[in-house]
Amino acid sequence: MILEARNINKSYGSLEVLKNVTIECHKGNIYGLIGANGAGKTTLFRILLGLIKQDTGTIAIDSDGIKPIGGIVEKPALYGYLSAYGNLKVFAQIQKLKLTKELFNQSMNQVGLSPERSDAVKNYSLGMKQRLGLAIALLNNPDCIVLDEPFSGLDPMGISALHKLIKKLSNEHQITIIISSHIVSELADLCDILYVLNDGEIIKSGSAMRLLKENVATYKIVGKNLELSEVLKDADAIFLNNSVLVSLKNINISEVLQKLVEEGVEVTSCIPQTDLKALFGRERV
Amino acid sequence: MHSTNRFKSLIRQGTSMISLIRSEIYKISKQSKTLYAIAAILIIEGFVIMSAYYQGAGIIDLLLDNLKDSFEFRGNLLNGNLIIYLILNSLWFHIPLILMIIISGFLTSEYKDKTIETVMLQPVNKFYFILSKYIVSIAFTLLIVLILAVSTFFISYWIFGYGDLVVYLDGLNFFKSDDAFYRLINAFLSGSITMIFFSVVSLTLAVVLKDATKTWIVAAIFLICSNLLLKIDFNNDIINELFFSKLTDSWQYFFYYEIPYSTIYFKNLLLLGYSVLVMIIGILIFKRRDIQ
Repeated sequence: MILEARNINKSYGSLEVLKNVTIECHKGNIYGLIGANGAGKTTLFRILLGLIKQDTGTIAIDSDGIKPIGGIVEKPALYGYLSAYGNLKVFAQIQKLKLTKELFNQSMNQVGLSPERSDAVKNYSLGMKQRLGLAIALLNNPDCIVLDEPFSGLDPMGISALHKLIKKLSNEHQITIIISSHIVSELADLCDILYVLNDGEIIKSGSAMRLLKENVATYKIVGKNLELSEVLKDADAIFLNNSVLVSLKNINISEVLQKLVEEGVEVTSCIPQTDLKALFGRERV
Repeated sequence: MHSTNRFKSLIRQGTSMISLIRSEIYKISKQSKTLYAIAAILIIEGFVIMSAYYQGAGIIDLLLDNLKDSFEFRGNLLNGNLIIYLILNSLWFHIPLILMIIISGFLTSEYKDKTIETVMLQPVNKFYFILSKYIVSIAFTLLIVLILAVSTFFISYWIFGYGDLVVYLDGLNFFKSDDAFYRLINAFLSGSITMIFFSVVSLTLAVVLKDATKTWIVAAIFLICSNLLLKIDFNNDIINELFFSKLTDSWQYFFYYEIPYSTIYFKNLLLLGYSVLVMIIGILIFKRRDIQ
């Protein structure tokens, strides 16, 4: 195990932000911390990164490296008046790391940024700042990276590029990555293990695939002539533009799809829809 | 073996400090506000020189009007030494105010931009980080006073030439040109200790308040109150001698006919003690507080 946070509690006055939170992370896996806004995700990350102190509980990181853990909390905070080189130089220097030309090029290429760009970072897009923030977090090769809402504010291209980068870091460099988000779809394809945080408590944890599957309540079916289908009308489906939402209360999705084919409806996709209320809450679907 | 490990640990700590100090210097050198600080000081200097150039002779005449009936004045009293003395008086308010604004910004800007979080996400010791800020702030203060002094001496002597210095301090005091030069140099040196005190206070205020505007307001109030308290007689020898605001005028003592060296040394040493105390308070608060 590379990181273990056990029985973490944190309060601000009478407000209990984290209640007995325990998470365990193993080398090379990607972990997702999911929960509604205000669930306590950022507070937990700040504690893991040592920015704030927990009231009670322990954190153990099994690493011999100079920098056991790195990360980005909320948005990447960089020196806007410095270039990418200037930022990397400052953050390398404070951890006694000499930023050679080779290391600079390597750091920039690793996160998909051009080492040639020499203007101030304040001109960068949010996606580029995220990448540079990640390059800084990766200085001195940490064993674990914590990313708080890394997809927030990124366009679909940026989200896709960051997905690939995170996967690469996990697969090729065996870095343990912990990501938080309140948007399930962002974590669904990325994470091996999910922790669900609700009102400061871990209420669910386990394989991301299993947790998401357990909390699928509806399917979105996309196709042609859906409005003509008798099966969908009987299933109380909600009709949208070229798609329908089918609830799984009394029916089996494979049976519905088979009947749709028999009716001659051309189905182009069938997407499971996670019930966020069920996933973020204590009840099961 | 034990002492070897301790030695290695000390070496490691030393290199950490040097790395942090170098990165702080790099950041300051790249920030435009550093140039603004230097520009502000040169502008103040320029205004004093300009007003002296156009109105100085009239003011000198007014000041010495009564004495002219009894004494004969030879040479030009509106000379470089007088201009340097006038600019030296910006150590009362203008220079410490600019220093307090700029130096508190070294930390408040890190809180505003949240770069302090990124710094603390690296393997950096909080104690060394804030100590490096204090060290660089003191070095920056000395640099600003040096720039002020060098530019003042150079420009004033160049435009107004040399001459005897007349100063009104509990009466009119006259100093020969060479003596005036010596006193002015020492006044700048002594004044730099006062400037260090105000700089250290402003950085500690930044540690406590975090927000730039609040820190500027409190720093300005601190400076004004400190100057007001300096003039108040507390009718208590201990307070009158040991209270911090009573120690910030040591550089003025070089313009008494007999320089009270022991008083100047005492005041400066005690003010340095206050600076160290304020710095320790700032470091302890910073260390104890969460970064957010």
